[in-house]
Amino acid sequence: MTDVTPERTKTVLIVDDSRVSRMMARQYILHLQPGWNVVEAGTGEESLDKARAALPDLVLMDVNMPGMGGIAAAEQLRRLAPALPISLLTANVQSATRERAEALGLGFMEKPITEARIAQLLALAGG
Amino acid sequence: MTTVRDPSLDLLHSVLNAVTLGAVVLDHDRRVVLWNDWMSEHAQIPQQQALGADFLALFPALRGSRVDAAIDQALRHHFPSLLSQSLNKAPFPLYANAAAARLDDRLQQAVAVTPVDVANAPRHCLIQINDVSIAVGREKLLREQTLVLRSQTFADGLTGIANRRHFDVAIEREHRRARRHGTPLSLLMIDIDHFKAYNDHHGHQKGDQCLIQVAAALSGMLRRSADLMARYGGEEFAMILPDTDTAQATQMAEAIRARAEALAIAHAHGGNSGVVTVSIGVATRSVASAVNIDTLIGAADRALYRAKKNGRNRVEVQTPG
Amino acid sequence: MVELSELENDALIEIFNIGVGQAAASMSALVSEEVRMSVPSISFISRADAARLLGSRLAAEAEAPDRICGVSQHYEGAFDTDAILMFPEDKSLELVRLMVGETVSLQELTDMEQEAMCEIGNIILNACIGTLANVFEQELRGSLPEYHVGTSDEILGVSGSEPDSVVLMLHIDFALDKHQILGYVAFVLDISALHDLKEQINRYIARAMGQA
Repeated sequence: MTDVTPERTKTVLIVDDSRVSRMMARQYILHLQPGWNVVEAGTGEESLDKARAALPDLVLMDVNMPGMGGIAAAEQLRRLAPALPISLLTANVQSATRERAEALGLGFMEKPITEARIAQLLALAGG
Repeated sequence: MTTVRDPSLDLLHSVLNAVTLGAVVLDHDRRVVLWNDWMSEHAQIPQQQALGADFLALFPALRGSRVDAAIDQALRHHFPSLLSQSLNKAPFPLYANAAAARLDDRLQQAVAVTPVDVANAPRHCLIQINDVSIAVGREKLLREQTLVLRSQTFADGLTGIANRRHFDVAIEREHRRARRHGTPLSLLMIDIDHFKAYNDHHGHQKGDQCLIQVAAALSGMLRRSADLMARYGGEEFAMILPDTDTAQATQMAEAIRARAEALAIAHAHGGNSGVVTVSIGVATRSVASAVNIDTLIGAADRALYRAKKNGRNRVEVQTPG
Repeated sequence: MVELSELENDALIEIFNIGVGQAAASMSALVSEEVRMSVPSISFISRADAARLLGSRLAAEAEAPDRICGVSQHYEGAFDTDAILMFPEDKSLELVRLMVGETVSLQELTDMEQEAMCEIGNIILNACIGTLANVFEQELRGSLPEYHVGTSDEILGVSGSEPDSVVLMLHIDFALDKHQILGYVAFVLDISALHDLKEQINRYIARAMGQA
């Protein structure tokens, strides 16, 4: 497990239509950084509202969601906050998705979510 | 290495080297622990070189491939994998002979990767490779033959245009499409005037020639890929015109009538024109007249009948329903 | 019948979505084209009901309602199940054609294409069960794929199970190059397998909630 130095409070926004997924991610994040703030959204649309309200330091975005979808939502967030670290989460890792992520300046992480992977992602927010 | 020779082991050894498929076993660290003669021959890698080598060292091009993933699945999850020839053309560099090897003309392969439990050792993995080149070649031939056969069974033997069977399939398809998209579907029933008289006076051979000529000329007038002209009966043709309303279909029918007449096939015994002519019945299925196939054909037939009754060498239209 | 809590349903759908997502990535690598697969919903129903559901749902899409293609694999270990991937025959033909890239059309699936269908089943089923096994941190062993064609009753019956066995049914959405294909994956479970599965799901959820 990577070493993480407890930082001043940061906020992570988790976007995933699966409640269990969000719970697991929240659990891992708080285990690694107990002082941090975790905000959840269940859809792409909701993530935009939550982002505007919570001003997160890191966004973890599930790709496969009904409605707006992760990539479209990430695109919008990118426009709202050009420097915000946004990482796509997907089990379907193929070159088309990778290229799209790169072109939009988004990070990329393979599912399933594990504590090790979360640790890598938290590093993007300086955690 | 065993110091006492076990006869049953000798037998197994001989059998393994006699089977006509490739057998490779990897231990948990992906090192080759078994490599049969078939592999030595077709991979052009002798047993001494293969045994103990890392799998990816022997086949570096397979890193990150489906074979690589399959080995992983077998060793880590105890799941077998099948690599079909159709989706994985020839993953291993295996050849029929040295000449083929020089050209990189690989054997067509069907591969199975299965976990193998070994007593007192962590899981191993067996890779079986079958040469399916002959089966693939045979299938290719069959496919080509079927294509030829299919074009024959949908074509009318005499005129070469679509036959009744093709028409039946096509009208079904176009009707469904017209129904789904709300587009108009027109049908033309075209009948050669006084054809029996032509046959009686000029003979059946000339009658056939006439049919061939008319069919060729009229089918040559089709412009769109979905339009179809088929031989419906003895001297009767049917033309399917999707996405065509009554006005357009009537225009087309008139052009056809004129074209047939312009062929100027001499017919002294057919009505007044002195040449072979056609009568045409037009019917259109539209959203306003949303009829089924039988009703559409019936309407076109009725229009054709009217054309005949009204003097032949003409076009008549019938609204179905 | 088996009732899943909202959380249990959520957990299973997420697990299977991860599985088919990985399967889609593998298939995409095979055809060098974008492949998307997802599991929009799951349900637990009796084998007889599953046969009826398949018969009517797949028939609505297909031209020959009784001809369904199935690829089955048997798994055992942490729980025992027969997993079957199913498409109506013309859809499986379409799928194989898309994957293999052949433009010639034949009426029957040839041997080579049956083999391709077997591989597709192998990839998808291994991915689904593999993800379950990982998430449950359990060991499972699998068999090589087998190809079957017939009515939905016959296909579901290949497991040799009783008509009142429970089937965990996954609805699968498959997309490749503007083609959308609907298929199903059925996991046939007897009572003890069902019990094992539920136990595993609950342990997983407990871990997710930080209680394990």
